[in-house]
Amino acid sequence: MPGDPLYILLCSGEHEKLQMAAMMASVGAVSERPVEVFVSMNALLAFAKEVPAEKRYRGGAFSQLLKEKRAPDALTLFQQGKELGDLKMWACSMALDLNGWDVGALVDRLFDGPMGLTKFLSDAESGQLVSL
Amino acid sequence: MSERHKVDARGAFCPGPLMELIATLRHAEIGDEVEVWSTDKGSAKDIPEWIKKVRHELIGVSENAGYWSIVVRKMK
Repeated sequence: MPGDPLYILLCSGEHEKLQMAAMMASVGAVSERPVEVFVSMNALLAFAKEVPAEKRYRGGAFSQLLKEKRAPDALTLFQQGKELGDLKMWACSMALDLNGWDVGALVDRLFDGPMGLTKFLSDAESGQLVSL
Repeated sequence: MSERHKVDARGAFCPGPLMELIATLRHAEIGDEVEVWSTDKGSAKDIPEWIKKVRHELIGVSENAGYWSIVVRKMK
């Protein structure tokens, strides 16, 4: 039986928080738990299709460790969560508008579409909400 | 006839070993066993917990020279 849905509100563009969001989303999804991730603010910038790989993740000392030790890539973890479980990702419509983007500006095969905060928060009433 | 698949995830960091295990289980037949090797200390508890949650069967967990071996049978 599926567990309670997990909703992740991801706003930070810090590598460490992106990594934790990706870990939570992928592990939750493969554990038969529906997961939805709402990506806004600086976090959305990390998902831009045009960003070179070496500039995608910006963070502190732990970010360096993640890179040096070749920890699983955050975008790959999100992708695995989608392939192996019930994971949906939504791009904040406000953040898209401010950047002059549509979902096509974001990395391929990750996002299920744009969404407004009101709808996400309403959906999140049915499960556990984590903010990063 | 059931098979045993091996996943050598030594050197991968969390949640890499779990993801590799799941990817292998996906393509295994019901009744097959998958043995995953992991140097990630969390795997020894994380993977059995995942097996219990999604209702596969844990065959065994053992510690070898510098890595863990976890064996699971695909049940569904």
